[in-house]
Amino acid sequence: MGKNVLLVDDSSTMRKIIGRSLRQAGIEFDNIFEAGDGLEALAILEKEKVDIVLSDINMPNMDGISFLREKSNRANMKDIPVLMISTETGDDIIGEAKSLGAVGSIKKPFTPDKVNEVLGPLL
Amino acid sequence: MDISKKIIEATIEIFSTMVMMDITVDDEDVKDSGKLHDAITGMIGLAGTHKGVLAIHIPHVVAIAITGSFLGMEVDGINEDVEDAVGELANMLGGNVKAVLVENGRDIDLSLPSTISGASYQFQSSKDVEKSLIRFRTESGSFLVELQLEK
Repeated sequence: MGKNVLLVDDSSTMRKIIGRSLRQAGIEFDNIFEAGDGLEALAILEKEKVDIVLSDINMPNMDGISFLREKSNRANMKDIPVLMISTETGDDIIGEAKSLGAVGSIKKPFTPDKVNEVLGPLL
Repeated sequence: MDISKKIIEATIEIFSTMVMMDITVDDEDVKDSGKLHDAITGMIGLAGTHKGVLAIHIPHVVAIAITGSFLGMEVDGINEDVEDAVGELANMLGGNVKAVLVENGRDIDLSLPSTISGASYQFQSSKDVEKSLIRFRTESGSFLVELQLEK
């Protein structure tokens, strides 16, 4: 059975770009779920089987850091890996994301090769 | 720190890696964005040690071409996709500018991006700001990237 991915970004443009980059990198998923913020992402994780999450940091309603924190408190989803895809590059914020369980980060803008390099080993 | 050079590098990187569109830098010395006609502006606020705003001003026809290239599909007018794409351009540029300013000892937070669009408007700061404006050219026309930082 194939894998499912959840893309979390308040920009629908960016979610489409990430989807395109996954295809260009040759990374196939059975299902690509989408969420506009951390709250929507948690709702999807409650009902769908997701193997990996790609999440932005700066989002309205619930940002990526708060999403990581809340997800880590829920037994049914705490072990799902999360890769941050964000304009944020500061050591403090990326460090905070990793301390809350993020498995890595990709800086925007990115190429499909970069996506493959970081995401490939996680799948 | 030559912030204009950094803005140029970031804009070219964003357009080549994500928008998949060739752009060139215009050598014209732009002092002010002036009155903007049939245009859309994506902007992101900067706050912290220094305050300011990063804006990208794009004529509608150029924004439509950029969005089409960004998304890999036909776009036939200013719609939610165009507004979102322009906002995301501002977001990525803002992130790059923040990284440069933070490298130079400034503590900066970014707002969420927003857009305005209209037939005729002016983008002005009421504060005493230092402006950096760079014009870029595409096959469909030119656009401006503007950084205003409070003095």
